[in-house]
Amino acid sequence: MDALSAAFVLVADPYVLWVVLASSLFGMFVGAMPGLTATMATALLVPVTFFMPPVPALAAIVSATTMAIFAGDIPAAMLRMPGTPASAAYTDESYAMARKGQLDLNLGTNLVFSVVGGLFGVAVLIVAAPLLAEIALNFSSYEYFWLAALGLSCAVLIATLDPLKGFVSLLLGLAIGTIGIDPAAGFPRFTFGTVELMQGISFIPAMIGLFAISEILRSSVAMEGGFEAVEGKVGSIFKGIGAVARRYWFNVLRGSVIGTVIGALPGAGADIAAWISYAVSKRFSKEPEKFGTGHLEGIVDATSANNSALGGAWIPALVFGIPGDSITAIVIGVLYMKNMNPGPMVFIQNPQFIYAVFLIFILANLLMLPLGWAAIKSAKVILRTPRNVLVPLILIFCVVGSYAMTNSIYGVVVMLAMGIAGWLLEENGFPVAPIILGLVLGEMFEQNFMTSMIKSDGSFLAFFERPIAGVLGGLTVAVWGLFAYKAVRGLSGLRAATA
Amino acid sequence: MRANDAVVGVLLIVIAAAMVAYTATFPAFPGQRYGPALFPRLLGAGIILCGAALVVRGLAARRMGEAWIAAGDWTREPGKPLTFALVLACLVGYILVSESLGFIVTAAAILAVLFWRFQVRPLLVLPLAVASSLVVHWFFASLMRVPLPRGILDSIL
Repeated sequence: MDALSAAFVLVADPYVLWVVLASSLFGMFVGAMPGLTATMATALLVPVTFFMPPVPALAAIVSATTMAIFAGDIPAAMLRMPGTPASAAYTDESYAMARKGQLDLNLGTNLVFSVVGGLFGVAVLIVAAPLLAEIALNFSSYEYFWLAALGLSCAVLIATLDPLKGFVSLLLGLAIGTIGIDPAAGFPRFTFGTVELMQGISFIPAMIGLFAISEILRSSVAMEGGFEAVEGKVGSIFKGIGAVARRYWFNVLRGSVIGTVIGALPGAGADIAAWISYAVSKRFSKEPEKFGTGHLEGIVDATSANNSALGGAWIPALVFGIPGDSITAIVIGVLYMKNMNPGPMVFIQNPQFIYAVFLIFILANLLMLPLGWAAIKSAKVILRTPRNVLVPLILIFCVVGSYAMTNSIYGVVVMLAMGIAGWLLEENGFPVAPIILGLVLGEMFEQNFMTSMIKSDGSFLAFFERPIAGVLGGLTVAVWGLFAYKAVRGLSGLRAATA
Repeated sequence: MRANDAVVGVLLIVIAAAMVAYTATFPAFPGQRYGPALFPRLLGAGIILCGAALVVRGLAARRMGEAWIAAGDWTREPGKPLTFALVLACLVGYILVSESLGFIVTAAAILAVLFWRFQVRPLLVLPLAVASSLVVHWFFASLMRVPLPRGILDSIL
């Protein structure tokens, strides 16, 4: 347990604790502001964490996202506007509760069961990740190829409303990822002779563009000043929580399990987890007719689920280097920058870092109780932050952040190009998260594909010969079949509708 | 701005075809059957397939009466298109002049323009813009050691 005590020492550093507190406050604020998401919080944090050692850098991301996912529940109840997409599933329900005079109970429930769900996700992460890492030690390029293929396909099929457009986004992301030196032969592709493109499209500026600039473009034409109209006073939020826990303990458990599993699935994150667990809650409720009228049951499920998804998403990210959601996609980029290439070897070479991440996760979730209480109490002040001042400031942060990643104007150019592209794509119903997944996974995916092709001398059968590779390959092909079936049925459905 | 799926599909096919065509310039290595061109070509083929499916879908929607290209509702609201263009112009402007003018001046100018456009109280526009760009510069240049361009303020800083 030397690694564990080393991890304690790493985390107990006053500098790390200070980073945890500061990023928690930042995460609370970003999460509570409608229009600013947890992914955006992470994107804006990365340029700052770039200059930190690995542990505080990861601590900043873990604490900010943990807080942001909870904080999104506050404006959902008060303004009927989800602070982050992860709260969208039960925004109407929360607001209906607030209008019935149950704002305190609603916010208390959201806070307490966010903490419980978050801790559940972390517990699963702590138990599952090292076990999976041991299995993953035996993986060859075939297994990694299928794992990446399966992960990417699931991300598109589960996490997007329109799988065809999701698939296009994914392919575009992979295609952008091929810019630069190719991983097998070392030939510079699509660089058109520029030195800057040789190292590939810079990942962090691209992401700041896709997630933040596109959002700024959208909100610049929907500027309404500060948010107002918070109803009712916030009283003692913890009153009656014990009764809720006794009545709905099973919902908490169910929501947490669903959340962790969906979080661990590549590409699907906290928002999908909340939608699915809310739907499950309604489906199996004894009183489904109360859903939508300000009923607590579904909220308990969904608020546990979205926080547990955060921990779940780190499982494939740490063990295989395959992101569980768009936040961990960024985390993987950060890990590479810190020379801690994710994968099973990290658990052997640098176990103290992994344990440190676990400890920070627990710490952040516990810290959420007092900070969340404070955020709820001061919500009216936070929500009065004028957006017309905030949006230009975020724009400047984006510019400086992108510049800092490349130390040249090239980063800002990438950010702007990706920002416009992301805005156009989202306007036309193409999701942007798969682009990031493709961009992050592209090199690893291609490398494993090329290695496998060269090893097997072009025989696709070899991709299925090893037992685990065979199972993963079979699953992937099944997912593709489902995708093709749905696409064909969708097309013929359209034709029938127009005939 | 929302385009019919067929328009987007055709655009994707054109881009992917150009990408595949460009891979013809990649070298092949003797004795190796799979070179740097293989993966981009597979991706290109995938995009072309998806593009074709989008064309089929878009044409069906077109028969139902969807426009080829429809501008968003906000483009008809007075002033909104100008605001949108202004945000883009600020970013392009930063790329063009920040090296020569320096970060502080460029950022303050951008903030002032946007604050003004977003109707921050007139008396606050300049002080807020200058103060925020100084704080951001202090944080990133002094604390984080990012070499932000100094520009015309080089002698003072």
